[in-house]
Amino acid sequence: MELYEYNLHDLLEKLNSKEISSKEIFESCKKRIDSCEDKIHAFITRTEDFAKSQLEENENPAGIFAGVPTVIKDNLCTKGIKTTAASKILGEWKPPYDATAWKYLREAGAVLMGKANMDEFAMGNTCGNSAFGATHNPNDISRVPGGSSGGSAAAVSAGYVPFSLGSDTGGSIRQPASYCGVYGLKPTYGMVSRYGLISYGSSLDQIGPFARTVEDLQLVMSVIAKYDPMDSSCFREKTHDFTHSENVSIKGKKIALVKEFQDFTLDAPIAEAMNKIKKILEDEGAVITEVSLPVVSRYAVACYYALAMSEAHTNLERYDGVRYGYTVNDASSLKEMFERVRSYGFGSEVKSRIIAGTCLTEPSRCEEYYVAATKVRTLIAQEFSRAFGEADFILQPVTPSMPPKIGEVDDDEMKGYEADLYTLPVNLAGLPGLSFFTGYSENLPVGLQLIGPRWSDADLLNAGVIIERHTGSPKIPDLN
Amino acid sequence: MPELTFTPVIGIEIHIRLKTDSKIFCSCSTNTDAPANTNICPVCLGLPGSLPRLNNQVVEQGILTGLALNCGISPKSLFFRKSYFYPDLPKGHQVTQCDFPITTEGYIEVHDDNGNLKKIRVNHLHLEEDVGSLHHSASDGRLEGADTSYVDYNRCGTPLAEIVSEPDVASAREAVEYVTTLRRRVIYSGASDVELEKGMMRFDANVSMKCSDGRWGRKVEVKNMNSFKALERAIEFEIKRQKKLMLNGEEVLQETRHWNDAKGVTSPSRVKEFYRKFIVEPDLPPLIITQEWVDRMKAKMPEMPDVKANRYVSEWGIPREVADVITDDKNLAAYFEACVAAGANPVRASHWIRTEVLRVLNENQLKISDFKMKPETLAALVSRVDDGKISTTQGKEVFDYMFANNSDIDETVSKLGITEGGVVGNALNDIIQSVIKANPDVLEEIKSGKDKKGKKLKFLQGLVMKETKGQAKPQEVAEAIAEAVK
Repeated sequence: MELYEYNLHDLLEKLNSKEISSKEIFESCKKRIDSCEDKIHAFITRTEDFAKSQLEENENPAGIFAGVPTVIKDNLCTKGIKTTAASKILGEWKPPYDATAWKYLREAGAVLMGKANMDEFAMGNTCGNSAFGATHNPNDISRVPGGSSGGSAAAVSAGYVPFSLGSDTGGSIRQPASYCGVYGLKPTYGMVSRYGLISYGSSLDQIGPFARTVEDLQLVMSVIAKYDPMDSSCFREKTHDFTHSENVSIKGKKIALVKEFQDFTLDAPIAEAMNKIKKILEDEGAVITEVSLPVVSRYAVACYYALAMSEAHTNLERYDGVRYGYTVNDASSLKEMFERVRSYGFGSEVKSRIIAGTCLTEPSRCEEYYVAATKVRTLIAQEFSRAFGEADFILQPVTPSMPPKIGEVDDDEMKGYEADLYTLPVNLAGLPGLSFFTGYSENLPVGLQLIGPRWSDADLLNAGVIIERHTGSPKIPDLN
Repeated sequence: MPELTFTPVIGIEIHIRLKTDSKIFCSCSTNTDAPANTNICPVCLGLPGSLPRLNNQVVEQGILTGLALNCGISPKSLFFRKSYFYPDLPKGHQVTQCDFPITTEGYIEVHDDNGNLKKIRVNHLHLEEDVGSLHHSASDGRLEGADTSYVDYNRCGTPLAEIVSEPDVASAREAVEYVTTLRRRVIYSGASDVELEKGMMRFDANVSMKCSDGRWGRKVEVKNMNSFKALERAIEFEIKRQKKLMLNGEEVLQETRHWNDAKGVTSPSRVKEFYRKFIVEPDLPPLIITQEWVDRMKAKMPEMPDVKANRYVSEWGIPREVADVITDDKNLAAYFEACVAAGANPVRASHWIRTEVLRVLNENQLKISDFKMKPETLAALVSRVDDGKISTTQGKEVFDYMFANNSDIDETVSKLGITEGGVVGNALNDIIQSVIKANPDVLEEIKSGKDKKGKKLKFLQGLVMKETKGQAKPQEVAEAIAEAVK
């Protein structure tokens, strides 16, 4: 077994017992990346030189992740290292500061192997909407890895690194985790500091980890889920314990299915996975129940897009070519400069969301769309609150379908709507969502999702530990 | 046909820089005089990924300002993003409270043209961030025609309170009284130093005219006034301009006009108004202010200047004009009250401050905070003059000496050879005798009855006064001389 194949907790064990060195891990991962990256294209920027300097300087030898290689999504700021959010508009911009989540990892001793590819400004669900080319799914390189955190998911799936960070605004961690066959957690809103995360929809964005075991997610969460005064939405009072234990149980827990979702069509492997997991949960003593989410099923998608685009277009107003990133030097007026910078710098999906956001918040429509959406959001949060009075967790798919082939456009609008419906409401209500591996259908992994009430992240991961005991962990595909 | 009359209807928007150590959403210093772009960080520069965090000190200064304007404090307020593109605005939107502000309504009292008190209602006060400052290489300092423009973001993110009045102001004079009173109250509250020359108070005015024939002119927003004088002149100009249009039967356009201080005119704004939209700032939670917090801030509020002035007038009988002058400066009022507390007669002390203290401060370009003479010392001087121990003339000499030498009162009195209580009795008689002896011819003239108008007596009196260094009471001297020449 090569070192790159080890999971995080196994690596840490071997590092701590001095059986292996961080240098050896680095070399193994680098070799793996060298041999696969042409096929996968998980990175926008490779940073092995930086990782090497971190190792040589022995930056944080006492940290719990000392010498462990990682990858983070390219919308997380890294001091002195190019950060693009997969957009041309940021040019060669090198942030003067580290995003808090990365800072915490770095202080724990993690070394950075690269900045992962993504959909531009996290807008998309294929990782094909990047100014720097598409990422391929390591399980089948003709297929998409999902998005927007496709590069982070692919890097873990392909065995580049044992864990990575992504961000999730409407499913951007959970969906690529599912497509790539890894575990991904979208934590409760406010659980992980967003400081240094290039904003898409600020009230929806949340940073979270990818790994090949649930225990590894727990390890990463124990490092990144810390209070940060730099983010006003970050939790303050509560402390969260992500310590891994095998001695956990879901006996007597109520796990609900959403009544309104039962009529929707699922690809066969996903429907089979639902049955399999229900059975596992029942075998573990959980009670399968049903909750009704009528407002969610009817309005969540419209509500989500109204809010995400309204926030997005104001978050993207700062890219004007004045201070950093792409600019033009020969504009004859200020207006021309703004127009040219933004016309060239943004990709078409980003532009269309900016335009939509502008229209939705335009004074004559603002009440009808943006303001209405903020009210619907409150109802959605209340509806989930009620549902979690009746059940401990909700079990549902991440997506209704298996990963499509790259370039394959699904024109079925209704299917698109249903696809979003499994992930977006979680962000609207600020809930934690775990995307977990259930097994393979042929060579493709199948993932499902477990959702809990706000701040139940640790419980959710414990439930994941139990499921994983039955399903086993995903394996790294042979890419050579 | 009766002559048409016009009533101006004026609302005023004021931006005041709040006094805080750091900016509204980050920990950068608010020192805008520092070299360009040295007090900046990822947050106030709006770098990708940065997030605002609300400075508590800004909230407290906002509460104090609100209390100074008789406003209620909102238990919950929100921040919004106000979108427009401009190089001095690094995020492409300004974070401001606009529609959901930290205060509810308030008011400021001013005098109307008949001298009666009237209330100018304050609609609300809201908190917001300031933008950077632009420097253009064009000769007129404007953007158009400039080869190069430079942006200094030191000011970006410094905290502002925007104060919006109801259209209750009826003249340029009232406008000036409103902003003057408001400024004084804010300074008293400690929320801002409101240094006008540093641009810490900026004005916009909404001016419209109501005609006696029932016509209403449209509202014109006049921008770019940075001094009381500019505000007054701009409003006066606008009133005249709109009145003339309406008298000619022309329409007043609803527009934004720019005040040109050098030319003394308003002209349609050259900068196109940017299209503005507002969404809730998702990176800041609602601002919750408990009653307990408000109470704590209320306890910090000093007596307001107009209330103070009224008290001086009604309790201490100080002339209105003197009371206004003293309360204009919070520190001067504190000095005055310390004098009174040290035992000085309030009316006398107020006059000494009004005349002597302000004179030396002006002559020496000093502030009251630079004034070294202790209020107890001035109180002692006032009391001694009051008791007749020192004459008024000598008192002024003592004052000047103490000011110049930073000396104490007893030391000064002995240094200047002053006999407290004045020259009386035998000492006075001795001086009179020696003066008479030195002027036998004058004595002769008086005795012979030639001094019908008493001029010679006055002459002797003057000589005696000079000998006593003014330390005798003129009345006593006159009586003693009259006795001596009998």
